[in-house]
Amino acid sequence: MNKLLNFGIYCWSWIATFGVFIVVGLLLFYLLSQGLPTIGKELFFGDAPVWEAIFGQVRVWDALWPACVGTVFLVLLAALLALPLGISSGIYLACFAPKTFKRILSLLVELLAGTPSIVMGLFGFALILFLRNTFLPDANTSLLLAAACLALLILPYLIFTTQSALESLSDEYRLIGPSLGFNQMQTVFHVLIPAAGRSILSGVVLSIGRAAEDTAVIMLTGVIANAGLPQGLLGKFEALPFRIFYLTAEYRTPDELGSAHGTALVLLCLTGILYSSAFALHKTLEYRWNQHR
Amino acid sequence: MEPAPMKHKPFCNIRNLHVSFHGRTVLQKINFTLNNKGILVLVGPSGSGKTTFLRSLNRLNEYYPGYSGGGKIELNLSGSMQDIHCPNLELTELRRQVGMVFQTPNILPVSIAQNVNLPLKLVTGLNKAERKERLIEVLQEVHLWDEVKDRLKENSSRLSGGQQQRLCLARVLALKPKVLLLDEPTASLDFKASHRIEDLLLELQDRYQIIAVSHSLRQARKIAGQILVIKEGQIEHLLNKEQFGDQEMFQKLLNDIF
Ligand SMILES: Nc1ncnc2c1ncn2[C@@H]1O[C@H](COP(=O)(O)OP(=O)(O)O)[C@@H](O)[C@H]1O
Ligand SMILES: [Mg+2]
Repeated sequence: MNKLLNFGIYCWSWIATFGVFIVVGLLLFYLLSQGLPTIGKELFFGDAPVWEAIFGQVRVWDALWPACVGTVFLVLLAALLALPLGISSGIYLACFAPKTFKRILSLLVELLAGTPSIVMGLFGFALILFLRNTFLPDANTSLLLAAACLALLILPYLIFTTQSALESLSDEYRLIGPSLGFNQMQTVFHVLIPAAGRSILSGVVLSIGRAAEDTAVIMLTGVIANAGLPQGLLGKFEALPFRIFYLTAEYRTPDELGSAHGTALVLLCLTGILYSSAFALHKTLEYRWNQHR
Repeated sequence: MEPAPMKHKPFCNIRNLHVSFHGRTVLQKINFTLNNKGILVLVGPSGSGKTTFLRSLNRLNEYYPGYSGGGKIELNLSGSMQDIHCPNLELTELRRQVGMVFQTPNILPVSIAQNVNLPLKLVTGLNKAERKERLIEVLQEVHLWDEVKDRLKENSSRLSGGQQQRLCLARVLALKPKVLLLDEPTASLDFKASHRIEDLLLELQDRYQIIAVSHSLRQARKIAGQILVIKEGQIEHLLNKEQFGDQEMFQKLLNDIF
């Protein structure tokens, strides 16, 4: 009986793994088959000459380039805002917060995590309305606002992963620092954080992915269809997920749908690149921690 | 005849030590004064509070949730008896002077050299050259130098269990402690590696006051100057060399206890 159960569990885990593999494989295959043929100069730059378009000397119409740049800026800016805040809050919660205070803070973070992204967008939008009616009549939705709202969206992921990465270290490991005469700060920064680095990184990677794909937040806070390259922090911008959204929602020719698939593929590659640079960064940090002192 | 005052100085004086976690008593009514007569080995059934006792001596118990405890502990740290709960004694300083090696090798996931170097850098004020010198000195002291001198930059997790445990010991020795607390230092090691550590401890016993927990009676008899038998959080016996020297008597005594 027990043997049968074991076998059942074994089969099920195998099927489940295989299933995931198949689903992801199908998805990739579909995207590649639909999107790959559309990839080319045309998709990225339309009719504009390539080099001039890249450097923004020529306006690009109906093509991906401005959206690529917009998404990269958006994600980097959101990460720049959210990473320091999120990771330090996670460290504080895991290592320094007094017990009752920690419970209250965790509740608030959970609340933030449960907030749907459209609500974050609405919040940003309402903020602009408020500013217009009060101090800043010229305030408008912009790259900065969108990035700030995105940062708010990914903040709880960062806090949670950092906190749980630190808290899941074993009791014995936590005691290494104190047993060698380190103070609390030294233990946290020289023993615990480096050991939790890998898990913290995976939180960073997940939240970058989340920031790159979210459409609801930016729709209300500054993305528009034909903004061209972003013109500074307070300008409008284009973004890949938004482009995919409106191409698929409003396509008139099969070509337009095809270019939506191409865009999706590009977005996938872009997040892939962001992931790998986060990973590379982690590797260098780990190396430095290990060797140079 | 000359007395041997150097060898038999008191090094540890404990009055009414008690420890509990979440209201559950783990150690109670611990009272004794010990002279320096070689390695003090703690034996007792598992769960009897040996680890907790060691952790009272460097006040590491205070890290655990639900801890409460009291009593007076004096250790001979800098030539005179020092109350370890004295507010003038910094915790970090106490823990530097009372070094501890855990039951399972507890290396930092960094290079071999860095395992010794990082604590040296953070805790002592030594400069780079002095740290390098100290590193070599302690690796030689634990007989690890010849095995690792060509791979100091390798990750220490590639070392064998016995090597890792010696590295942990070296890491502690590098901080020049007065007292060494060793919690079943050979528990996760094979026979040969255990022997190496035991011989090493016998070499070190003149330079450091060693207090070690042991799970093996053979080992206890081999390295101990005195044996402290703990049972259910209390001291059952304090045996000196004559008492545990007689194998039969020792065995009989322990049969009663375990
Ligand atoms: N941090 C702790 N929190 C709660 N209970 C503990 C803690 N440390 C030890 N104990 C309890 O104290 C008793 C003695 O533990 P320990 O000192 O580890 O024994 P030994 O090392 O002799 O095996 C055990 O019953 C254990 O469950
Ligand atoms: Mg123990």
